[in-house]
Amino acid sequence: MKEQIPAIQTEALAQIAKAADERSLEDVRVAVLGKKGTLTFVAAGMKDVPKEDKAEVGQLLNAARNAITAALEEKQAALQELADLAALAGIDVTLPARAVSTGALHPLTLIRDEAIGILRRMGFALADGPEIEDEFHCFDALNTPADHPARNEKDTFYFDSGKLLRTHTSSVQIRTMETAKPPVRIIAPGSAYRRDEIDATHLSVFNQLEGLYVGTDVSLPDLKGTLEYFLHELFGPQTEVRFRPHFFPFTEPSFEIDVKLTVKGQAPRWIEVAGCGMVDPAVFESINKTRKDNAFDPETVTGFAFGMGLDRLAMIRWGIKDIRLLIENDVRFLKQFS
Amino acid sequence: MNVSLNWLATHLDLSGKSIKEIDDLFTFAGVEVEGIVSKGIASEKIVVAQIMEAVQHPNADKLKVTQVDCGEGQLRQIVCGAQNYKVGDKVPCCLPGAELPGGFTIGETVMRKVESKGMLAAAAEIGLPAGEDGLLILPADAPIGKPVKELFESDTLLELEVTPNRPDLLSHYGMARELATLLKTPLKPLEISGANVSPASSIIIQSPAACPLYTAIRISGVTIKESPVWLKQRLESIGLRPINNIVDVTNFVLHELGQPLHAFDSAKLTGNIIVRNATDGETFLALDESEHTLTTDDLLISDESGAVLALAGVMGGLTSGVTETTTDILLESAYFTPQGIRRTSRRTALSSDSSYRFERGVDPQGVLTASAFAVKLILEIAGGTAETTTQVAGEAPVLTQPVALDAAKLDQLMGGSIPLADAEEILTRLGLTKLADGTWDVPGFRADLQRHIDLVEEIARVHGLANVPSRFFGAFVPASGIDAAYDADMVLRRRLSALGVYECQTIKLISDAQVSDALPLRPLQDGDIIRVKLPLSEDHAVMRPSLVPGLVASAARNVRQQAKSLRFFEMGRAFRNAGGGKAKDQESETLAILLSGGTAPAGWNHADRHADLYDLKGLINALLPNKTIRFSPRGRDGFALGCDIKADDQNIGVFARLKPSRERELDFTSPVFVAELDLTKLRKLLAGIDHVEDLPQFPGSSRDAAMEVAATLPNAEIENVLLKLAEPLLVSFECFDVFADPTGQKLPADRKSIAYRFQYRAADRTLKAEEVDAAHQKVLEALAQKLGVKLR
Repeated sequence: MKEQIPAIQTEALAQIAKAADERSLEDVRVAVLGKKGTLTFVAAGMKDVPKEDKAEVGQLLNAARNAITAALEEKQAALQELADLAALAGIDVTLPARAVSTGALHPLTLIRDEAIGILRRMGFALADGPEIEDEFHCFDALNTPADHPARNEKDTFYFDSGKLLRTHTSSVQIRTMETAKPPVRIIAPGSAYRRDEIDATHLSVFNQLEGLYVGTDVSLPDLKGTLEYFLHELFGPQTEVRFRPHFFPFTEPSFEIDVKLTVKGQAPRWIEVAGCGMVDPAVFESINKTRKDNAFDPETVTGFAFGMGLDRLAMIRWGIKDIRLLIENDVRFLKQFS
Repeated sequence: MNVSLNWLATHLDLSGKSIKEIDDLFTFAGVEVEGIVSKGIASEKIVVAQIMEAVQHPNADKLKVTQVDCGEGQLRQIVCGAQNYKVGDKVPCCLPGAELPGGFTIGETVMRKVESKGMLAAAAEIGLPAGEDGLLILPADAPIGKPVKELFESDTLLELEVTPNRPDLLSHYGMARELATLLKTPLKPLEISGANVSPASSIIIQSPAACPLYTAIRISGVTIKESPVWLKQRLESIGLRPINNIVDVTNFVLHELGQPLHAFDSAKLTGNIIVRNATDGETFLALDESEHTLTTDDLLISDESGAVLALAGVMGGLTSGVTETTTDILLESAYFTPQGIRRTSRRTALSSDSSYRFERGVDPQGVLTASAFAVKLILEIAGGTAETTTQVAGEAPVLTQPVALDAAKLDQLMGGSIPLADAEEILTRLGLTKLADGTWDVPGFRADLQRHIDLVEEIARVHGLANVPSRFFGAFVPASGIDAAYDADMVLRRRLSALGVYECQTIKLISDAQVSDALPLRPLQDGDIIRVKLPLSEDHAVMRPSLVPGLVASAARNVRQQAKSLRFFEMGRAFRNAGGGKAKDQESETLAILLSGGTAPAGWNHADRHADLYDLKGLINALLPNKTIRFSPRGRDGFALGCDIKADDQNIGVFARLKPSRERELDFTSPVFVAELDLTKLRKLLAGIDHVEDLPQFPGSSRDAAMEVAATLPNAEIENVLLKLAEPLLVSFECFDVFADPTGQKLPADRKSIAYRFQYRAADRTLKAEEVDAAHQKVLEALAQKLGVKLR
């Protein structure tokens, strides 16, 4: 028996070393350590071993079992390692990805959110008003003469009810001041409508962002600082901004604002981005009349207003050459904003 | 308005000013420069050349080989195709390097094997008005070698946009006056002597409100002919076509002084001039040969025969004007009030340089000056004799009044950036005069300056915003409900975009035909549709009552571009008349979603799967993950599978599939699922949780059950039974399989099997198997009892 054990151990270790896969390794384990395994058989003979030899044979047996078990485990790990390597070697990481559908926000949403983000940081709150407006809020209250061309049915959409589609978001100025009291510091994004034939640079429905700040001692320096800061945040701190005198019925003095656009490979050019001005006292007088109080007393209250075309800002920002791309919703266009 | 720089320079010294400086000057005066066109020859390399020899080109019938003298000490050989010259003529020669209009640069070439070292040019080729065919023949005394540009006056045409509050700028003199103010240079005085006037003897104003002042002077014995070159050049320089000397003078004075004039042929007038309103239906044949039916609102110039001589201030009549045979004229200069001219011009769609100025407002004080100036020019150019006095009916209205300048208010608005003395100096330069009482007298041509703020505006404009400091602070105001709504909308937008849906922006005006695609929250009723009165086209005639039509159109458009996966949403307003026209219901904010085609782009390792209704349901679930979203069938006209969408039992929107026939009509190749959701409700449901729930401390157990039911039984009925049962240990359940066999082999064809997994758990202990079994049994019995389900 003393001779059998080392022989079994040697043979088992040789078989283990030879095993090429898990299956043959398992066969070796069963053949040696299984119920009818060679070592198990020998172990069963322990009872017949003379008492004085028992300790020695037992030790031999244990040593053999330990050695064989360790070899089995080691071999098993080595085989697993090989199998893992083989499995990983089969993976082609250069095959294309499994597609996940991507979505995107519309460029108008992106530019609007950016503009609103800047202005809210500057302490403006959002305001709103109806798109189906009356002539009073769209024109009269904004100091627009009764025979002003903008009121023309050729330029403005009217309804049989006499109402109209607001031609600018400036009507929100009036809607807000009718209920709020100074200080008023609001911005109002929204649609506006004009009877313009749709072409590469015109939409009959377009998007504006209106702003209004009314309080005591609101001045031209406030108007200038606010819009300069806003445009620098939007277009970059180095962007040149200029204010050109202009005319709007509801502000005086009025200005148009240009930014100097530098596109690689093009000469820098001034691009009009917004209109603005100090709220005309006539607008406050009209508000007071509607409110039946003097909350917006032009003697003590001043303000500035501004408005800009968001479609235009989007076109400038991303070099969009045809405004119709903004309403056609071609996936090939929208995807670019993912 | 077109302005000629040369013309402008007759009124003030612009020497040394570059075009860029003048451009800036106008821009910062508030006059938009829309275009700058250089007229005349630009290049120095176009010189006077004498043709010394011209021989037939050896290889081309229509070309000649010339030798020309450009004053270079030797002759230059140039191949030329023109026929209109003779040897000895002087012509423009473009030397190599000369740049021509259109950016073309002349070089040395070989034409049909003959060298050509330059180009002999026609007028149009070098930027001069096109003349006769062939080369431009220069005067015989033109010095050889001299740049041709020195022989011709060059000019710059400025295309200016004047804002409606500044009619005083609608003339060369007015523009020059403005520039002189800004440049602080003197304006050359106009050399016009005052008119001798007499009260009108043959003018009757019947409508003094519309025509406060009408003047006329008769000039007899004029000779109608072509205008002299200087006059024609002036008109041509701003793009006007010369007509004859009389008409040209009236046009010239209009563009010089801004006062429209009109010359009638005296012979065609009968008796007194009558300024009156038209009678209803009276017709007028304008000199552009258009015919107009007038109303009592239109002012016209008539005579005692009743003939309509002119539509006052808008356009002369076809028959009363000056022709080649005219010998005596009556020259009208008047002031018509802006509103009337504007109404007539708009209604008749007739507009002219006259109406453009009258409707913005001319200076009533300039009416007689313009007349006197025109008379002087006519006598010089057309001869004849003018009456000694100009007949004047009515009187020039005074449209200005003294205005006070409030120093404190000025300081406040300007942020203290301009001293009062500087501000007053600006007003003085603008032609205002400080009166003894401290108020400012406004000149007649600035009727726009009526209030304190108008003076401030002028001061700010001339001072320039560049000279005003910037201030960077403002009042604190509370956020509004609109802020909260905006934030919620952005959350929804970002969620949808992250879920692979593209945001769209469609036009809010749709066609009548598209209304059938509308899926508003409440079905449309008669009269709900809001139609614009004068749509631009049938495609944009109706305010959208729902966002779905726009999304369907966008998706259809993408299908035509071969897009395979259509996943779109839009957020915005829908419009309808509420029953009874309650105004506050007219605009509602909604979210629409459309899914069709591939759920994701197909790839090498997965097949494309077409979106189905459960995909859209899943999207809505993902928008409101803490709510239970359920579809409850409710038919919708024009759609298939119509459902109300409920979140925790609250109706939040509508779902449907386009009818298959509509899908085919629009060339969709897979089903189109749409939903429209009430944004105001979504915003509220989006509110986060108030407090967290404790995590379960004890494990739960699950039991599965496959239940055989009628094929038509909606799953919702099973859910309803389970919800109503409210078994306390049943914490959740989910449907994990639905099986049906239309062949009837494995299951009768009118039956289906729905498999559910039920999760049981108690908050305070680990459930024993018997407890779970008992609860499960109760659940199954309830289902069997209420719905007759058979367990499989």
